[in-house]
Amino acid sequence: MFQKTKPFRAFFWVALVVIGFFVFFPLLWMINTALKPTAETFSSYFFTGPLTLDNIIHIVTDAKIMGYLKNSLIVSFGSSLMATVVCAFAGYSFSKFRYRGRKFVMGLFMMSQAFPQAILLLSIYTLMNKLGLLGSYWALLISYVVFTLPVGTWTLKSYFDNIPDSLIESAKIDGAGHWRIMTKIVFPMAVPGMISIAIYGFVWSWNDLLYSMTLVTDSARRTLASGLVMTFLGEASTNWGYMMAASIVSAIPVTIIFVFLQRYFIQGLTAGAVKG
Amino acid sequence: MNKIRNGGKLTNGQVGFLLIVPGLAVFVAIILYPFVDAILMSFTNRSMLSPEYDVVGLTNYMKVFKDPYFGKTLMTTLAFVLGSTILPFTLGLIWAIVLNQGFRGAEFLRGVTLVNWIIPGTAIGFLWSWIFNGQYGILNSILEALGILETGIPWLGQTNTALLCVVIARTWQMLPWYMAFLLGGLQSVSLEQVEAAHIDGANNWKTFWKIILPGMKQTAILVFILGLIGNLQHFDLPWTMVQGGPARATTTLSIEVYTTAFKNWNMGKAATVGTIWAVLLAGFSILYLRKVNDPD
Repeated sequence: MFQKTKPFRAFFWVALVVIGFFVFFPLLWMINTALKPTAETFSSYFFTGPLTLDNIIHIVTDAKIMGYLKNSLIVSFGSSLMATVVCAFAGYSFSKFRYRGRKFVMGLFMMSQAFPQAILLLSIYTLMNKLGLLGSYWALLISYVVFTLPVGTWTLKSYFDNIPDSLIESAKIDGAGHWRIMTKIVFPMAVPGMISIAIYGFVWSWNDLLYSMTLVTDSARRTLASGLVMTFLGEASTNWGYMMAASIVSAIPVTIIFVFLQRYFIQGLTAGAVKG
Repeated sequence: MNKIRNGGKLTNGQVGFLLIVPGLAVFVAIILYPFVDAILMSFTNRSMLSPEYDVVGLTNYMKVFKDPYFGKTLMTTLAFVLGSTILPFTLGLIWAIVLNQGFRGAEFLRGVTLVNWIIPGTAIGFLWSWIFNGQYGILNSILEALGILETGIPWLGQTNTALLCVVIARTWQMLPWYMAFLLGGLQSVSLEQVEAAHIDGANNWKTFWKIILPGMKQTAILVFILGLIGNLQHFDLPWTMVQGGPARATTTLSIEVYTTAFKNWNMGKAATVGTIWAVLLAGFSILYLRKVNDPD
């Protein structure tokens, strides 16, 4: 794409080194700090001095933090599963059915990420409070589905668009009902898309701070993001070693999922947002 | 006749509608109802502390517009949104160009880059507060070792540097996201056109501005607008790093709504700020929708 002239080579190497440093150094520094013994937290060696797993062990044996982790897993799995089903239904409907109001509802779903979340929280909080759901997982489970709704519906719609109508018609002639056609023919053809939406939903829920800080009042039900903020920001003196170790622990599940399913993830991400 | 022959079965249209009911229900409960309710709330003096409230008309709006801090919050938001979109967009584009060169390990680097984006904002906030820490932060250590600084700077404790720090942390978080899209954009540019331009004697610089960038215009504009919308919504980093401080230096609209509602329990005022904010967001969102619906 570019001619390998001298100025381009210079640009390439400078960009590689400078942006590379900016992109990769901070994460390594996080790991480095987490692995230092407490006495060495403030010394500036980079993996060249004594290293230990003490901080990590301290975090993973902390019952409170592990409780937060469990809550995060429950909420993220639950909401990502719900979101995938909801988006698959809606995507299939938008793709293969024609009815009045279809375009309008499509527009509504598309816009859902454009509403300011903090203002929605005011009423969601009041509503969930009235329904008595603030002490349970439900307030978060339901709210998180919305994060995935626009991207999820669109990604899956584009998968369903590629399924020829004749396939569905011939199944109908063979006597298959709507439910059978959907679960046996249509959905199986969109499995990669569904996986990418499930991951997308999981990551969103796992990483959310704002909703989890407000919609969970019972500290036993707190998720990791808000739990860590409450744990560490309230302290008079910060233990940076613990803080970095906790950050790593909170990042591990999403990173693992991402490493294994990267292919689906990037595909879903770009298909959903760019194709519209 | 038709209905009778159908034997109670649903029509196609009915099935289609049933399928969107779950999504629609969630949308109404979590977005539409709260949104309308919040706008109505902005005309009341509702508070979390008591169940009773009065309709106060435009009083909240008058108060917000007279509030000397509100203008500052708008400016902070504007600075944050522009900085946190332009910076990672530019760096993400350069990074995409570098990784698109197809050297050994480029694929691997791309994957590892995305980790920054995938990890929780809370962790990123903690990490950058540690890097920018005034006493023991590594940034000060590096700058001192290089002789650029004599004594460390309390980056997050000063009103004139705190916002910049949050923008840098946000840049670090979002660079991979822009990179992923822009890499896709770069790869969609017609190589034949690029080759033809080179044969015609156009240098890299000219080819980039005349052929490559126009070729990926659609992606670039979309990502930019989506980036703006995302930043206008952003909450995690200014909160985890400095909680909107010092002296409101990093208080953006989302932080302001959150603190007004959930720290001061003044729902009416929070809803008012939120409504003004929603109007701003709507502007960007309309831009986005028009771009998405644009057939080319």
